[in-house]
Amino acid sequence: MSTFTIPVGPLHVALEEPMYFKVEVEGETVRNVEITAGHVHRGVEYLTTKRTIFQNITLTERICSLCSNSHPEAYCMAIEQIAGIAVSERAESLRVMASEIKRIASHLFNVAILAHLVGFDTLFMQVMETREIVQDLKETLFGNRMDIGANCIGGVRFDLDSKGLSYLAAQLLRLEPQLDEIVRHYRTNTSILRRTRGVGVLDRAAAVDCAVVGPVARASGIAYDVRTKAPYSAYDKLDVPVHTLEDGDVWSRALVRLAEAKTAIDVLRQCAAHLPEGPTGPRERPDVPAGQAIAKCEAPRGELIYYVRTDGSRCPERVKWRVPSFMNWDALRVMLADAKVADISLIVSSIDPCISCTER
Amino acid sequence: MGFLGVLIRNLVAGPSTDPFPFGETFTPATLRGRVEYHPADCVACRACEQVCVGGAIRFDKTPEGLRFLLWHDSCTFCGLCAFYCPTEGITLTDDWHLAHPQSRKFAMVEEGTIPTIRCAACGAQALATAPAAALFDHPPTPAEVEEMRSYCPRCRRKVAAERKAS
Repeated sequence: MSTFTIPVGPLHVALEEPMYFKVEVEGETVRNVEITAGHVHRGVEYLTTKRTIFQNITLTERICSLCSNSHPEAYCMAIEQIAGIAVSERAESLRVMASEIKRIASHLFNVAILAHLVGFDTLFMQVMETREIVQDLKETLFGNRMDIGANCIGGVRFDLDSKGLSYLAAQLLRLEPQLDEIVRHYRTNTSILRRTRGVGVLDRAAAVDCAVVGPVARASGIAYDVRTKAPYSAYDKLDVPVHTLEDGDVWSRALVRLAEAKTAIDVLRQCAAHLPEGPTGPRERPDVPAGQAIAKCEAPRGELIYYVRTDGSRCPERVKWRVPSFMNWDALRVMLADAKVADISLIVSSIDPCISCTER
Repeated sequence: MGFLGVLIRNLVAGPSTDPFPFGETFTPATLRGRVEYHPADCVACRACEQVCVGGAIRFDKTPEGLRFLLWHDSCTFCGLCAFYCPTEGITLTDDWHLAHPQSRKFAMVEEGTIPTIRCAACGAQALATAPAAALFDHPPTPAEVEEMRSYCPRCRRKVAAERKAS
C-alpha cells in the first residue's frame, strides 16, 4: 500500500483552533505526524512589557477565553510574591471559587466537543445546555460569561453576599443531577464508547516521557495536580480528590474531566460553607518593587506557570508563561501513531488544546 | 432507551433558549456593560486612564475644563476602571445593547467634563472636582461637598485643616 501526505489545518473543519498537522497515511492509518505551530502568534508576551502591571491583569485575562481566570490568577500571585502582599483568607477562598466555576465550564465545553466530533450532536447540545447553568452563574456573580475579571493584585474584585451564595447553591443544585446524567451517557452510550475507547492511547510510560500535565496526565494514571502537589490560595484547607484513570485513551480523558467537574461542585460547596470573613481585595494600587517570582496554578488544562520580573518601573520587565497545552501537544505524536484518519480530530480535541494560550 | 428519554423530556419541556429579540433575555444586574461616567463624583485622579489596557479612556484639557472620553469600541468591559475608582465616578451598567452600524462607531463614546472654575476663596483657576474623602473627618453633607468643590486644591487643604482643628 502506498503512503501519501494529508495536510490537516491550519484552518480545517475538524479543528477548533488553528494548528497545522502534516499527516502521512498508509491507507487510512496514520504513519507519521508533523505538528507545526505559530499561526496565531499575537505577541502578547512582548505586549505585557509595554503595559503597566495593573493593565496586565486584564491583558493576561485576554490570552485565552477558557482559562481566562487562571492566567490573571497566576500573574497576580507572582506580583503579590514580588511585592510581598498577603492575600486575605476570604479572597483566597473566593479565588478558588472563581477558578473552580471556570473549571466546570471549561471541562464541559471540551466534553461537549467530543460528542460533536463523534457525530452525536444531540448529546453535544445537551452538554452545552447544562454548561449554560455555569455560564449564567458566571454572568451573575462576575458580570461576564467568559472573562470573569475576578482577580486583582492583592485579592479579588468580587464579593459574595448571602444573595450570591444562595444563587450559587441553587445553580449547583440544578447542575449536579444534569452532570450525573451526562456522566452516565458518556459511560454507557455505545456510539461514544465505540469511537473513544482504546483510541489515541497514551500509556503511563509515554505520558511520563512527554511530561504531560492536567487531565491528560491523570487519564494516563499520573496523579499530578498542582492543587494538591503545591497547594496555593485556599487549596491546602480543602479536600480535593485527584481523579486518575489507567487507560490513557480519549474516553479516559473525557471521564477524568467529568469527574473533575463533579469534584469542582464539591469544592465550591466546601468554600461556600466555610467562607471566612474579611476584606476581599485592596482598591489602592500597591507599589511593586524590583524583583522576580514564579507562580503556578492548576488551569483547567493542567499546570500553568508564570514567571514575572519587575524593575521597579510601572511596567514589568518580563512576563513569561508556560501553558499546559505546550506540554500536552507533543504527546499527540504518540497518540496519533497508527490511529485512523477519522480519529485525528477526536484525538487532537482530547488533549483540549489551547492554541491561543500556547502561541500567544 | 438511554438517550431517547432525554429527547422525550426535551420535547415536553419546550425550547430552553431565550426568545430574544422577540422577548426578554437573561441579564443579571451585575452584568458589565456600557460604561457611565459621573463628572460630579470624579476626583480627576485618572486611575481609570492608567489601568485601562485597551486605552479606551482618555483625559484631555479643553477650554471648558478637563474632559473625560471613553470609546466603547476599544473598551473590553473588564471593569478595572470602576474597581480602582475611589469615588464611583465611573461605573458599568447592565446595558449590553452595544451593536451599531459601522457609520456610528465614533458615536460610541461616553463623555463628560469637569468644569474649570475660579476658586471662591483666592480666585485662582482650578478644576471643580469632587473633594477627596480625606478632606473631611466625617461623611460630608452634599452642601459641604459643593462648598469644597468651589475651592482650588490649596484652599481646600487650608479650609479642611482649619475645620479639623476647630
